[in-house]
Amino acid sequence: MRRLLLLVALVYALFLWGLGTLNGRLLALAVPLIVWLGAALLRGSQKPKLRISRTLSANRAPKGTPVAVKLSVVNEGPLLEELLVEDTLPRGIELVAGESRILASLGPGETVDLEYTVAGKQRGIFVFRGVEMTTGDYLGIFRRRTTLPAPAQLAVAPETLKLHRLAIRPLRTRATAGPIPARRGGSGVDFFGIREYQPGDPLRWVNWRVSARHHRTLFTNEFEQERIADVGLILDARRRTDIRLNGHTLFERAVRATASLAETFLGDGNRVGLLVYGGFLDWTFPGYGRVQRERILQALAKAETGDSLVFDSLDYIPTRFFPAKSQLVLISALCPDDPPMLSRLRARGYQLMVISPDPISFEARLLKPGKAVDLAVRIARLERALLLRQLRRAGIQVVDWQVDRPFDQAIHTSLSRTAHWFRAIGVAP
Amino acid sequence: MNETPPLTAKALPASIVLAAGALALGYGLNGSWSIVIVIAVPGVLWLLGQWRGWGWTASVGLVCFVVIAAVGLGMRLWDGWMLAGVVGALSAWDLDHFARRLRGPGKVEGAHALERRHLQRLLIVDGAGLLLGAVALRARIELGFGAALLLGVLATLGLTRAIGFMRRQSD
Repeated sequence: MRRLLLLVALVYALFLWGLGTLNGRLLALAVPLIVWLGAALLRGSQKPKLRISRTLSANRAPKGTPVAVKLSVVNEGPLLEELLVEDTLPRGIELVAGESRILASLGPGETVDLEYTVAGKQRGIFVFRGVEMTTGDYLGIFRRRTTLPAPAQLAVAPETLKLHRLAIRPLRTRATAGPIPARRGGSGVDFFGIREYQPGDPLRWVNWRVSARHHRTLFTNEFEQERIADVGLILDARRRTDIRLNGHTLFERAVRATASLAETFLGDGNRVGLLVYGGFLDWTFPGYGRVQRERILQALAKAETGDSLVFDSLDYIPTRFFPAKSQLVLISALCPDDPPMLSRLRARGYQLMVISPDPISFEARLLKPGKAVDLAVRIARLERALLLRQLRRAGIQVVDWQVDRPFDQAIHTSLSRTAHWFRAIGVAP
Repeated sequence: MNETPPLTAKALPASIVLAAGALALGYGLNGSWSIVIVIAVPGVLWLLGQWRGWGWTASVGLVCFVVIAAVGLGMRLWDGWMLAGVVGALSAWDLDHFARRLRGPGKVEGAHALERRHLQRLLIVDGAGLLLGAVALRARIELGFGAALLLGVLATLGLTRAIGFMRRQSD
């Protein structure tokens, strides 16, 4: 536009100068400039007719994983002497390879492809919107800028860790065979009890020692059935439980832990649901398999901390969302007023596990060491130890996760220890 | 960042030198050597700007050369040199912008074909500009004051309408 204005201003100036001095030769000097404007106008005034399509190699990718983007622009109108295609990347997405901008000449019916690779810098749902098209003549006098919609969405999911099988023992399991002890006798691996022989029992199950002590009665061993279970994951997204320091957030660790848990539980065949409890309630209804995994990862990709007067405490966790007596896993840094609600959940028959990323060690690591900080850390640790003890006394399984340790190591150390302890005293963990 | 295509990289300084040379020759043949030095300043500045990547020197150079050519015509110098200077300056101004478009970030598909077509179009427009300019310089039409005034008003109105139309078409 500035180029056009400059040319027109020069033509004007020469005209006025020529007319003012009655010098016709000055008017003649403006002729090459007018020829230029005419030549540009001849080509530059056509409205472009373009069709655009966008394809992504994946709609969901973990952070840092390259995703190929392909834009195809088809010219459905006359020749476009210069076409500049510029794709604007959403914030949080970075260009890894290729170019998101192309300059080309496009004849009628011709196609130009723009291919590049992006990667997500952070977790989230990123929406690609319009593509900016600038058409112009060869002389660069006319520029027509239009934005064509080419929507696409890329979900940058949290990274997941491969966890070994997690030892959970909900009070109620589902009918399908799986890896979770069902508290019922039948066919399985672990010894469950002895009962009187019934026709149809395999002979190798007969407990000959016990049978020998009784007259004309046979006894058979029973094994604990293993089935799948309902698992409800609750991710605490209340802003007051999050800690943000120097670009690090505790919530990100919690999200990654939730993703790893979801992947593990779904991999074992369980029915898993997710509730993100923060500024509002974001529910992913319980389901099985890969589709459910996608749903949960999508929900976690867009999970953010939030403030809400209603959901400031855990009192409004909608328990009807989770099947009765199922396994609940709460991933939360915990607040001092949380234990009563968690005890109530336990009392309602839910088997509750709390995975608590330790906010004190997370924050202390990022603070400058000093006397005051050390003292504050000691006091905070005492308060947290009391809080966790209160939960354990209520029969809640607690994993105190020091976030400088990888989640898989932390959870396995904690769970294996509690499992033995629970077995020794004969109480379900 | 892309590189300037080879033909454009050669044609751009050549156009600047051609424009400055034509104007300097016109003034030099008339013995106005002080103005020849004045012509050299925007020429050198333009070349320097092109080498250092300064965007503003092309437009400043074009304006300077058009003004110098208009002054030359006012001084009754041979109009062929002045016309050649203006056409050369226009070509350099265009090539400078074209090189900038190609050098910008992003991929350029078929850069050589784009350059070839651009230079062809530029040559045609330059040729037409030179030819029509020369015809206009040779044409002699006697106009009275009233006719000149009417022509001036028409030109002003026409150009205003043209600007409005172009602004609507562009951006």
